[in-house]
Amino acid sequence: MKSDIILDVRDLKLHFRTRKGPVQAVDGVTFQLKRGQTLAVVGESGCGKTSLVKAILRLLPRNIETFTGEVFFNGVDVMKYNDERFRKEIRWTKMAMVPQASMNSLNPVIRIEDQIAEPLFLHEPGISREKAMQRVAEVFKVVGLPLDFLQRYPFELSGGMRQRATIAMALVTNPELVVLDEPSSALDLLTQANLMNVLKKIKHEYGTTFILITHDIGTASELADEIAVMYAGEMVEQCSAEYFYTDARHPYSRKLMASVPTLREDKELQFIPGQPPSLINPPTGCRFADRCEQRFGKCSEHPPVTELEHRQQVQCWLYVNGKGEVKHA
Amino acid sequence: MSKIETTADRAVPARRSASGTFARIARYTLVRGLTLVITVIIGVYLAILIANGGGYVDKIREGQIREQISLSIAGNEALRDMTMQERREYEQNLVAIELSRRGLDQPFMVRSFRYLWNGLTLDLGSAEYLLSDSGSRQVRNILGERLGPTLLLMATGQLLLFFTSVFFALFLSRRYGSVIDRIVVAMAPTSAAPAWFYGIFLILIFAGLLGWLPFGGMVDAPPPPSPWLRALSVIKHLVLPVGAIVVSSIFYTSYYWRTFFLIYSSEDYVDMAKAKGLPSGAIERRYVLRPTLPTIVTSFALTLIGLWTGAIVLETVFGWPGIGRLTQMAINLFDTPVIVGTVVIYAYLLALTVFLLDIVYAIVDPRVKLGGGERRS
Amino acid sequence: MTRLANLFRELRSYPSAVAGVSVIVIMVIIAIYAMVTIPYSEAVRLWRGGDNVWLETPRNARPAWINNFRREKLPESIIMKTTEDPSLKTVMDLGGGLATSDMLFEFDYYYDAFPSEISMFFTAQFKSARPNVSIKWVTPDGREIRLTDLTVRQSESYRISQDSAVSRRLGGVLPEKGLFADPNDPSKVNKGTYQVVVEGLVFEEGSTLDGSLIVYGQVHGLAGTDHRRRDIMVALLWGTPVALAFGLLAAVGSSLTTMTLAAAAVWFGGWVDYAIRRINEIVMILPLLPILIMVGLFYSRSIWAILGVVILLSIFGSGILTYRSMFLQVKQSGYIEAARAYGASNARIIFRYMVPKVIPVLIPQFVAQVPNYVFLEATLAVLGLGDPVLPTWGKLLNDAYTSGALFNGHYYWVLEPAFLLVVTGLGFAMLGFALDRIFNPRLRGL
Repeated sequence: MKSDIILDVRDLKLHFRTRKGPVQAVDGVTFQLKRGQTLAVVGESGCGKTSLVKAILRLLPRNIETFTGEVFFNGVDVMKYNDERFRKEIRWTKMAMVPQASMNSLNPVIRIEDQIAEPLFLHEPGISREKAMQRVAEVFKVVGLPLDFLQRYPFELSGGMRQRATIAMALVTNPELVVLDEPSSALDLLTQANLMNVLKKIKHEYGTTFILITHDIGTASELADEIAVMYAGEMVEQCSAEYFYTDARHPYSRKLMASVPTLREDKELQFIPGQPPSLINPPTGCRFADRCEQRFGKCSEHPPVTELEHRQQVQCWLYVNGKGEVKHA
Repeated sequence: MSKIETTADRAVPARRSASGTFARIARYTLVRGLTLVITVIIGVYLAILIANGGGYVDKIREGQIREQISLSIAGNEALRDMTMQERREYEQNLVAIELSRRGLDQPFMVRSFRYLWNGLTLDLGSAEYLLSDSGSRQVRNILGERLGPTLLLMATGQLLLFFTSVFFALFLSRRYGSVIDRIVVAMAPTSAAPAWFYGIFLILIFAGLLGWLPFGGMVDAPPPPSPWLRALSVIKHLVLPVGAIVVSSIFYTSYYWRTFFLIYSSEDYVDMAKAKGLPSGAIERRYVLRPTLPTIVTSFALTLIGLWTGAIVLETVFGWPGIGRLTQMAINLFDTPVIVGTVVIYAYLLALTVFLLDIVYAIVDPRVKLGGGERRS
Repeated sequence: MTRLANLFRELRSYPSAVAGVSVIVIMVIIAIYAMVTIPYSEAVRLWRGGDNVWLETPRNARPAWINNFRREKLPESIIMKTTEDPSLKTVMDLGGGLATSDMLFEFDYYYDAFPSEISMFFTAQFKSARPNVSIKWVTPDGREIRLTDLTVRQSESYRISQDSAVSRRLGGVLPEKGLFADPNDPSKVNKGTYQVVVEGLVFEEGSTLDGSLIVYGQVHGLAGTDHRRRDIMVALLWGTPVALAFGLLAAVGSSLTTMTLAAAAVWFGGWVDYAIRRINEIVMILPLLPILIMVGLFYSRSIWAILGVVILLSIFGSGILTYRSMFLQVKQSGYIEAARAYGASNARIIFRYMVPKVIPVLIPQFVAQVPNYVFLEATLAVLGLGDPVLPTWGKLLNDAYTSGALFNGHYYWVLEPAFLLVVTGLGFAMLGFALDRIFNPRLRGL
């Protein structure tokens, strides 16, 4: 069972220091991810999704206030690694990423092939150039890019091509886990669809584990096995994709689902009134309470995570003392 | 060879890349060079128009001719017998011949183009007062003699400034927020003063008060006989003026470039490089310094243009026997041909600086193609 | 208005901006003070100088306040005039038009250094017979040294320091040293009360004789004097409005026109844009200073003519590309489209919509440019191309440089104008840097 879980994150906190006070971008996030599965993390912009990625990959800006918690990768707490060990043993060999706006993630003055090959030379010292280039060409084919683009500079590629080149770069060292941060948000619909197909192909052929960060629940449904909903720096619900789309439990998740347009049904699209709370001094109780239609007295206290049937985990008072049992507060 | 190397679709891009960079830079260099030549021609023409605005230079020349001729007539024994009237006519005649010989009777447009050619080839005739060290009165010789020291001083100063600034800026960006970083940020406004201004203080401190270094000049008064000692003496004299160049700009350039580095290190591809597991040194070199270089080269170009402007006074303050010192002497003596000559030679030097930086720019930025005028925007 | 208030509030949080603004305010106050107390024509007259204007000031004197930092006190000038203090003169009528007009100049000299010069000046009124004077020097220890006998014209000056006869009588030392020297140790000053006794004789009814004694010191005023006895303070004071006016006008003139041209280039595009960019390329390689030198030599050295040329040459400088690229971004924005759609005129779009958008870049750039122009004026002056009549800081530096001030140890002469240049330059530069950070979000916190 243990070996089946590739990533186990417990109470991860990432707070930034700003002039106005600490920003609690990631506040006590806990989740598990099975090998070969895809976890989609959904939520509004500014809810801390990207910070979660940065926290897991330890890509931290200078203004760190708090960075605590445990991140077990294959059962080892990598938070205990120092920066140098983390860089050598985890980055790109175990975990790779495709960052947000990944068309800007290529160094403008280095040729594509050299950038893609870079992690190979770094993490497999002594690899011959030929061999490295062979591998680069392989992943280039996987993402569906013509090989003659290898020699070009990033500015000679279209946005979609650069995005795919970034994905190729993420795959080149065969990492076990790839984090995709809004991989398709800046692309047109056709390119998006194309990209999702590429990702699906990779998932099936290589069995790569993905974390997919997105604000687009539609995109998430394409790839995800598990869905996690983030709200104001916290993970308010996690469940398998199967049930999420039909049976989301958290009031926020339900609202989120109701706001997704669908072709077949003729439903009235909903929106959530109000703004998410500021991550500087967020409410001490449930962070969604102000916008929640089902709030009651209890909501002024911080809700615990409740596990419901189908391993559905919800952080909401509505489900406490219900069918599920209180897991932790 | 791997199988990919041998595939047909690889052959084309391979050739494209090997010679591609070189061809791109060569083509770019050629076009930029031609543009600059045209620019220099127009610039020199403008300078000549200014110098001759309202026929001012013409009048000086005509006056000189008249004076020479009347002197030679006065000194000519054979003409003693002529009447006043005859002598005046004879003089008038000679002046007219001389004027047309020098082309001064032609309309200004025609003359201006001849002046332009003369200006571009630095064929500006003889100086009115100044002599070259070898005793020549030719403006070209005078300027040629002074070019070497100017290039030595400015090139040393500029290169030193560039490299120290880059390394210092990188160092500061690494130590963002530290005491030394704050000091440099606070000191940046001091670069508002030109190099010669700092020169005065350096002279005051190191030559006047401490007496460690010479007040000015390029070599010791009787130049040491051995070439090694002479070189050493030149280096000793270089320290203060080069120091003035560096001190006058280093805080500004370091502050500015450090800010560039900080801005560029928040680019997505730097995060990506970090995620890839690159060591920090490699990130700094390949992902921060390398992509910032084009911006830095552009900003350095502007600093250099300012430095060239200040060079005249810098050389004057340090008594450095270069073009700048010559300009100052020509101003004091009102030596028109030499002054026009210095304007032309400074235009050449500026164009050359811009040209060299353009080439460097094309090398460091693969995005540069023809029509490079766009890039500074 | 609230935006302006916000700006000021934000500026207050930058110490460098506060310092910069204070410096600028002080400079403006000095400039106004200079222009009020010394009118333009007076400033020009004073700086043109000559012996009649600067009769009573020593040559190359250091500022008086340096005595506060020295153990050996340097002398200040001692000036005594019978016209101002009639008690110095005793007139006795001897009848028949003949009269004595004796003068006694008595002064304490307790300085540790010798004076720089000693001179006497006489004025007389007479019809045909010139008055006579006989002058002697009495030292504190009672020695009497005969100086000279003179017949006085309407105005007569007697430069004791240049009287070789006196020098010979003192054993070959300079009179200003010998007359004050301690007889036991000629390198030391004999401190005490000195007297200069003048026995005057007038030969006509109604004829008068007046005299004055000036013992020139080695220090003078707050700023000292230059090689032509001019009080450097005049140039320091008047240099302020000149520098501020030159810097501000050049910066305003060049940045506003540059911006307008850049806006026009972007708005009209096509050949206008093309022409402006080509002109920029030419101007970039035009050597600014040599061209200014030509203008100064061949046309006019007036600071205002130079100012015009500077603005003309700066218009197409590097700034135009910065503005151009900003305007290109602005042009693409929606509200410009909207303005065009409702039929706004070109001028209206440029001035009401495009120009205000670049003000955040314009203001810091403009402020930061001021020192460049202030120093440009100094640069030209150092090359001997300063304004022919106005006293400026640059001309002070030029005078100092040509008289070898550094070499001769007259540091104050260089340091005073240099200090004002630095302070003014830094004031504007610091404010400019702070404004840049406030207006430029990318630089915030960096």
